Amino acid sequence: MENELQSLEAEAKKSLSNLEDVKQLEEFRIQYLGRKGQFSTIMRSLGSVPAEDKPRLGQLANSVKSEIEKLFEEKSQNLHRQSAQASSGSGPDLTLPGRCPAPGTLHPITKVMQETCAIFESLGFSVAEGPDVEVDYYNFEALNIPAHHPARDMHDTFYVGDSVLLRTHTSPMQARVMESQDPPLRVIAPGKVYRCDSDITHTPMFHQVEGVLVDKGISFADLKGILTVFTQKMFDKDLALRFRPSFFPFTEPSAEVDIACVMCNGVGCRVCKKTGWLEILGSGMIDPEVFKKVGYDPDVYSGFAFGLGIERIAMLKYGIDDIRLFYENDQRFLSQF
Amino acid sequence: MKFTLNWLKNYIDTGDLTPEQLADELTMLGLEVDSVTPLFQDLAALKTGIVVSREKHPDADKLSLCQVQIGDETHQIVCGAPNVREGLAVVVALPGAVLPGNFKISKSKIRGIKSFGMICSERELGLSSEHDGIMELPEGTEHGQVFIDAMELSDLCIDVDLTPNRADCASVIGIAREVASFVDNKLSLPVTNASIETTSSDFSVEIVDPELCPRYAGKLIKGVKIGPSPWWLRRLLLSVGLRPINNVVDITNFVMLEYGQPLHAFDFDNLDGGKIVVRTTTTGERTFTTLDDTVRTLDADMLMICDGTKPIAIAGVMGGGNSEVSSETTNVLLESACFNAVSVRKTARKLNISTDASYRFERGVDPEGTINALERAAQLICELGGGEMGTDGVDSYPGKVEVTPISLNISRTNTLLGLDLSIQQVTKLLTSIELSVQPKGDNILMVTAPSFRIDIEREADLVEEVARLVGYNNIPTTLPTVDLSYPEQDPSRLKRLNICKKLTTIGYTEAINYSFIAEKHISMLTIEAGDKRFNSVKLLNPLSEDQAVLRTTLLPGLLENAKRNINFQRPAIKYFELGKVFFPKEINEQPTEENRLAGVLSGNLYGEGAPLYFKHTAVDIFDAKGCVEFILEAMGLGNITDTSELQFKIPDSAAAEVFATEEYSLELYYNDELIGSVGRFQDDVLRSFSIKNEIYYFDLNFDALCRLAAKKVKFSSLPVYPSVTRDIALLVEENVSAGQLLTAVQTSRDKLLENSEIFDVFQGEKIPDGYKSVALTITYRSQTKTLTEKNVEKSHSKIVRMLTEKFGGSFRNA
Repeated sequence: MENELQSLEAEAKKSLSNLEDVKQLEEFRIQYLGRKGQFSTIMRSLGSVPAEDKPRLGQLANSVKSEIEKLFEEKSQNLHRQSAQASSGSGPDLTLPGRCPAPGTLHPITKVMQETCAIFESLGFSVAEGPDVEVDYYNFEALNIPAHHPARDMHDTFYVGDSVLLRTHTSPMQARVMESQDPPLRVIAPGKVYRCDSDITHTPMFHQVEGVLVDKGISFADLKGILTVFTQKMFDKDLALRFRPSFFPFTEPSAEVDIACVMCNGVGCRVCKKTGWLEILGSGMIDPEVFKKVGYDPDVYSGFAFGLGIERIAMLKYGIDDIRLFYENDQRFLSQF
Repeated sequence: MKFTLNWLKNYIDTGDLTPEQLADELTMLGLEVDSVTPLFQDLAALKTGIVVSREKHPDADKLSLCQVQIGDETHQIVCGAPNVREGLAVVVALPGAVLPGNFKISKSKIRGIKSFGMICSERELGLSSEHDGIMELPEGTEHGQVFIDAMELSDLCIDVDLTPNRADCASVIGIAREVASFVDNKLSLPVTNASIETTSSDFSVEIVDPELCPRYAGKLIKGVKIGPSPWWLRRLLLSVGLRPINNVVDITNFVMLEYGQPLHAFDFDNLDGGKIVVRTTTTGERTFTTLDDTVRTLDADMLMICDGTKPIAIAGVMGGGNSEVSSETTNVLLESACFNAVSVRKTARKLNISTDASYRFERGVDPEGTINALERAAQLICELGGGEMGTDGVDSYPGKVEVTPISLNISRTNTLLGLDLSIQQVTKLLTSIELSVQPKGDNILMVTAPSFRIDIEREADLVEEVARLVGYNNIPTTLPTVDLSYPEQDPSRLKRLNICKKLTTIGYTEAINYSFIAEKHISMLTIEAGDKRFNSVKLLNPLSEDQAVLRTTLLPGLLENAKRNINFQRPAIKYFELGKVFFPKEINEQPTEENRLAGVLSGNLYGEGAPLYFKHTAVDIFDAKGCVEFILEAMGLGNITDTSELQFKIPDSAAAEVFATEEYSLELYYNDELIGSVGRFQDDVLRSFSIKNEIYYFDLNFDALCRLAAKKVKFSSLPVYPSVTRDIALLVEENVSAGQLLTAVQTSRDKLLENSEIFDVFQGEKIPDGYKSVALTITYRSQTKTLTEKNVEKSHSKIVRMLTEKFGGSFRNA
């Protein structure tokens, strides 16, 4: 028994040192160390040795087996390392590109529109949509722009019938939402708008997002706060912005918001007409006349409204210099977003 | 509104402000400065010179040979002007200079004589249309100076983009008043507080409709000599883009720009009856020739200025040719009036005329400024045109309105603006722009706006003034405190966004096209009367034929996109658009708006890139159909079976989509409702779009899909026992559809049957003509045990037998 163990140890060591590749490892393991291997056979035969020899022989058998197992483990690691070294150079050319069918892209207007809505949604604004083809009342009258008001000059309107028109802004939704809901409310209304104007900076259709917030005690300072959050999230938190008095018949006071020109960092260039500022949105405190038309009490509630031009924001965000590119749907353009 | 910096400085001392600071201050007050442009820069290279000698050109009668002194140098210049003479101060363009219109001056030989430059006429300088001779500079002008400096042309033109409410700032004095609010200097105005004390006996004024004309004033100036205006006046008009005409007309234009009050000058001798009547037209007065020699068609409600017998001007819009000031005029009747804004606007709109006068009347002019402007212009006419006038005139003012003070609540103002101003601070702000203020208690100010601020009518208007004067950027920035609520979103919008995002993941690119198309697009798609898409909503004022009607289908836009990309060598197209189409209802009623989701496919399925892994595979009808199945799946409407309410149907050839080829046309139905279609465009249709490549499409009613209830996701437990699959290949007649075979298997109701799929359809070698081989893989599984060979064989042979019997097919061993 003792001899058997010694010769098995010698044999196993020899054959272990003769192993040349990874595949032979498993054969060795089965022959010597496996459940039906030679060591197991010897161990099983321990049952038939005299009881007084059992502890000694048992110990010896275990130590020989663990010695072989240790050597096997070392050999195995060596061979695997060698095999890995040998195989390098004959593997795949990993400089080849990865494989994945090319995805398409969302239109940049959709992306910016969505980003805009997401910012306001996270501030608790809900989203409502209205018809593209509006009636004069919601597009103008309800917004304090009566017939023959010079402010109508600011809107080059497409008409499709008597008092039926393509909305010139998303502001009709202000009136529609306020008519159907009681205050307080926080709503944005994204959508397409239309003006008969077409050149390098105007397309006859473009996109706006309208926003309204009405509650008790809402101030112009709050308007500044919400729009500052929006601008900083959309562009850059350190971007300078300014609020500038303007005029819209449905807000008073009215403000336009300019951001420091993103093309020249406010130094002055062709895009910002040397002013260093770019107008990105119009806003204001909702005019008491508008509240009266929708049945809100201007002595109890106040609120603000704003309208953002999505094309304008997209152009500034991505540095696009011709608005018409949005509607040519050229793959070379769309694939960039 | 354009003005020059020097012009502005006539009325207000701007102190140390740089032009940039001034522009910035104005912008932040709500008078947005669009541009600040140095004037006459294109004339910067020109010099002043003195003609020191003039001889006749030896070989040309009309040409003169001049020696012109410019600084230390004398230049020989050939000149053809009749008025060139010794001692005259002139403008010279030396070789190298470029005149307006890109006219480059170089050395030349004229009839054999060398000429080193050109003596310029006003027309050549772009200063007027005067070309009878060279421009004569005032006597005593020194030679060798830069022309624009010598003639004080160096100035800055400031262009303010006026908002419609600030009519008062359509004048240089109006701008100066705003400047006064931040420079802390007093205004200095040429004429203030003028009035007409004695009524003229030379003419009378009758206002028939005081509603339309609250005030009409006039003054007669006799013995006027019509001629060109002096240089300073012409220069100012030129600086802001107006063409000088003659002294009287120039003065009316100048004073209009100065005071904001439009004026009109009539040739008094052409007026009948020595009277002015302000009335609407009579039935006999339906045409009128304006001073631009255009015959205008008049309406009954248009307000006219008439003499004793006939109309002589369209009130507030444009004067008539019959009474215009000409070189013969000696007696001038000067009009300064106030007309109803809506009336002027309606008239100007109807006649399609917009003048500087109508622009101002439409926005409203100061009813108390009428006489100041009249007096100012009359004085200038006497001064510059040698006329004479008395202190008399006519001032008919039936529409005088008493101004009532507006109450301003200080605490409400502070709440609305987020400020904490005292009543004293508010008082100081408002008085800086000439509002008069009377405190009433410690929280209310009674405010009276000056007459020129016609936009201030309510408390809200005053709050705006306070905000503007404080400066928007000095108002704090806070976030509102509101009750928390969950923002509800429009579910349809969320579905649209979700689908768009998902379609991009399978290689589709989103297009956005205009909502309008050309009317011819509908016929290019061969859509005919009776089809819902045939009648479109027409724009009454389209920009072009190509954008004349609202789209009834998304396909023309997508086809135009396909064409563009094919033309730009990007023929692999997988585009979709999700947008509205419009179907007309009654006239003057809003149309029905419907969201549709359409796509076009063409060229390589895998796009232009990655030929290494994705070999060129042309898209076909199954890609289009697959995309629709993907959309349905993404909307929770997938897994269409023979029994589901949503079904693809192959239409009868007569009922198929008109622009699709007959063999490639598939429709999607929800019960009996047509939800959409899939197909291939006919070549003829594509040819009409100038497209040669094959194009497949799908077009779905997205609103209808949104209405269908999405299947609720419900977990089913994973199978415990393994499945067994069997493949079979059937040889069937070629008109047997794969769908029929699958349906037959699926409806066999074998209890072990789990699934069946087509994995190959084959025709050709070894397959007899008129037949095809269809290979199916069928999966069997039991929920209660591991199937044995025997169990499967029993079910499978039954199905095979059923198929061969039903379709007469023979069984090929797969």
